[in-house]
Amino acid sequence: MTLTVVKPGLQTTLQGAPYLGHRHLGMPAAGAADCLSLALANHLVGNAPDAIAVEITLDDVKLTVRHPIALALTGAAEFLRVGDEDRALHALVYAKPGDEIHIGPATQGCRSYLAVSGQIKALSLLGGGSTYLVAGLGGFKGRALQADDVIECKQAAISETTGKNTPDGLRPIISDRFIMRVTIGPELSSLSLDSQKMIFEKNCQVGARTNRMGLNLQGLALDQEDGSQMHSAPVFPGTIQCPPDGEPFLLGPDAQTTGGYPRIAQVIRADRHLIGQLHPGSEIQLVPVSNERATEIYRQKLSLLTPWLGAMSLW
Amino acid sequence: MNGFDIHACDDWLTCQLKSLDTVHAASAVVRKQEMWLEVVSGLDSIAVQFDPARITPVEAINLFREHLSKPQTSRGTLAAPITIPICYEEEFAPDRQWIAQKMGLTVEALIEWHSALQCTVTMLGFMPGFAYLQCGEDVTEIGRLPKPRQQVSAGSIGIIGNQSCIYSFNSPGGWPIVGRTPFTLFDPAKDEPALLSANQNISFRSISRSEFDAISRELSR
Repeated sequence: MTLTVVKPGLQTTLQGAPYLGHRHLGMPAAGAADCLSLALANHLVGNAPDAIAVEITLDDVKLTVRHPIALALTGAAEFLRVGDEDRALHALVYAKPGDEIHIGPATQGCRSYLAVSGQIKALSLLGGGSTYLVAGLGGFKGRALQADDVIECKQAAISETTGKNTPDGLRPIISDRFIMRVTIGPELSSLSLDSQKMIFEKNCQVGARTNRMGLNLQGLALDQEDGSQMHSAPVFPGTIQCPPDGEPFLLGPDAQTTGGYPRIAQVIRADRHLIGQLHPGSEIQLVPVSNERATEIYRQKLSLLTPWLGAMSLW
Repeated sequence: MNGFDIHACDDWLTCQLKSLDTVHAASAVVRKQEMWLEVVSGLDSIAVQFDPARITPVEAINLFREHLSKPQTSRGTLAAPITIPICYEEEFAPDRQWIAQKMGLTVEALIEWHSALQCTVTMLGFMPGFAYLQCGEDVTEIGRLPKPRQQVSAGSIGIIGNQSCIYSFNSPGGWPIVGRTPFTLFDPAKDEPALLSANQNISFRSISRSEFDAISRELSR
């Protein structure tokens, strides 16, 4: 079974689970930027929550299929068209041989996930297959999809069932304004007292230097009290660092493993999937929570999701 | 706080340590414990990531402290010292001329000096297999490039102050470049994908362009 790329869009990659346990070798997590939308799409087609799917960024994308397939689309896309028909997001959908699958551009949010029943073939890397673009590893030849690329897929048996939809209450709200809850980073105190307060009082906007590695946050202009250079230290997806120019940046799934700028805050694991929906111009409000509260929120979120998705984790 | 300077976020914690030696010893001990999803070293700190569905940050701090308090009998299995061949020819060493000038050396003397350095891998980071090395003497004249290069080739050897680095992939980069090794720094098909590991001792060997090509050919077979 194959999917042929007709219109590749801005940055369309194969993404599933993150790489775990290799950060000490300099290997970042990679994997789906919005792991919740990935899991919801995979579930509809009967895949494991972190199976590899097609991650689509902002732009519209067209693919054609040669064999009957079951598919599901979640995330930011405005519409899904299969052949001549408009189909719903968050629903199990079937395509017939020759159908064109047209995934609409994002009107709000940033990324969409197209899951297909069966196993999408990706370059095997450290036990996974997600694309790590910077080093050209994993996924489809280590790169974003281009026109005429043919994605291969090990077909799963399709038994046509209808009416399988993500329950309303579990559909993430895709927006251009997010509240992101953070815990305090180890070097928050390197900021002036005013700046330490300001980051939680003033909203910030995602700037233009935005990709899977990180996003710059504008509108805060933070002061660094303690200008002393810190030594390179471990960072993670969701870490917010502040360089000397006072414009913080938020690390994404492809973030490098260590960094030399003060780590002022950390987006909590429960909210980190929202990073995948940020684009230049998105508005963010950072809200501080305690570690205890963050753990509670994460466990509550999982207990809300697992009855539908089965055992899973967010990353 | 039991002597440890620990800061926890909701799914990772970091501990400030005195020296790079302590960092390497601590990471060897902590890495043996299975509950940590990641164990990452910095230059003077170590961080571990955990699954907050399984343990809370407070539990993680207690466990981590317990692990660090274990008698550190071994310093982990230290990788055998390795000699890295470097070709210092101009096409691989775009910055060798001005570096030599700043250090008051001829290009030949610069090559002789650099290839005789004894280095230790401080950590891997930036990209998979990218190695930061600490090399004996401090050369304060050599700082970061004022404008990073768009493209630095895999295998390039950078130098800033008393640190060197080896680029593992073609990537942008701000280190002045003095040479290139034909070795592959990160090969995901191998059981141990990274050629180097933290705390490993490294020496260099100056090679000619033809030897560089021969090693490259050998490796790509």
